Amino acid sequence: MEMSQRRNGKRLVFSERTYHKIVQILSDLLKNSQSQVCLFADMNGYPITYCGNTETIDIFNLTALAAGDFSATAEMAKIIGGEDRFRFIYHEGTSQNIYLCNVGESYLLLIVFDRNVALGMIRILAQRTIEKLSALIEELKKEGENAARFVDDEFRSLLGRQLDSAFGGR
Amino acid sequence: MHVDWLRQEIIFKIVYYGPGLGGKTSNLEYIHAHLDPTMRGELVTLKTKEERTLYFDFLQVELGRINGKKPRFHLYTIPGQIHYGFSRKILLKGADAVVFVADSQRGRMDENLSTLADLEKKLIRQEQTLGTMPWVLQYNKRDLPDVERLSFLQSKLNFLDVPYHEAVAVKGIGVFETLRSTMHLVLAKV
Repeated sequence: MEMSQRRNGKRLVFSERTYHKIVQILSDLLKNSQSQVCLFADMNGYPITYCGNTETIDIFNLTALAAGDFSATAEMAKIIGGEDRFRFIYHEGTSQNIYLCNVGESYLLLIVFDRNVALGMIRILAQRTIEKLSALIEELKKEGENAARFVDDEFRSLLGRQLDSAFGGR
Repeated sequence: MHVDWLRQEIIFKIVYYGPGLGGKTSNLEYIHAHLDPTMRGELVTLKTKEERTLYFDFLQVELGRINGKKPRFHLYTIPGQIHYGFSRKILLKGADAVVFVADSQRGRMDENLSTLADLEKKLIRQEQTLGTMPWVLQYNKRDLPDVERLSFLQSKLNFLDVPYHEAVAVKGIGVFETLRSTMHLVLAKV
């Protein structure tokens, strides 16, 4: 199935083909970095994809907070002047750490790793991953505007009925 | 809207917008408290010491799989306070629909109008308008003694004839109705 991306406002919705390439890049990062979780998301708080041990992690809440974290630190960068945004944000805990970095202007990469993993290695591997992901985003921008037909009429109609039944409609 | 092809999920983003202390967070709190826990995530709230929303509140609502595909709705509130404007700008990006929570109390019309104008301004920056973005009006705090008449609120705020609901968010009146009609608008636009 060949899909392309579509525009939703200014945001790109990834095609299935591109999506699977991203999944592979993240899986490689997870394996090579020995991290717990790798997440690629957009700055609007949408998790694009993620891998690792996410059973005990609410990935949607984590993504929303990561996007909020970026918007707050971007404001801090503007306040001190000379910076548009910081390239990465690092949160160090007693047993676990989070490394966050931007991928172009619209996306972010989040890595959760434990204290046994060296930050230097995470930085190097994250940088390589950013380069690969950035190339995909550029590629995507050149693609056509065909709609990703995830939502068909049947899905729309069944979801409409589910909404009514869940939220008290007719 | 975002499609997760691997997990066969589709995510929509709904943003609650409106003047400060208008009841946006109350909407999410009610949904969180009264929706079946299997249908929602934990409510994330980032508040100041004074219980005002600092960055945003966030709640995920999910529905059952349809032909193997799972729909999720991400609900965000945007801080009403003008000095947190940067959060408003960021969070509105990628929204599939907006709920405008207006304060029905007499004397709050200027704030309702200026916040609506601010919403339009931010939409224009992302190449949208109130005419192109699906949105729903919620007239909140209808139980308070000194509120404007519905016809007055309609004439001032609903110039585009969008769906509207009267509500008392803290008691849950109109909360699910607002959410449902917003979700239907999202669906119609996909």
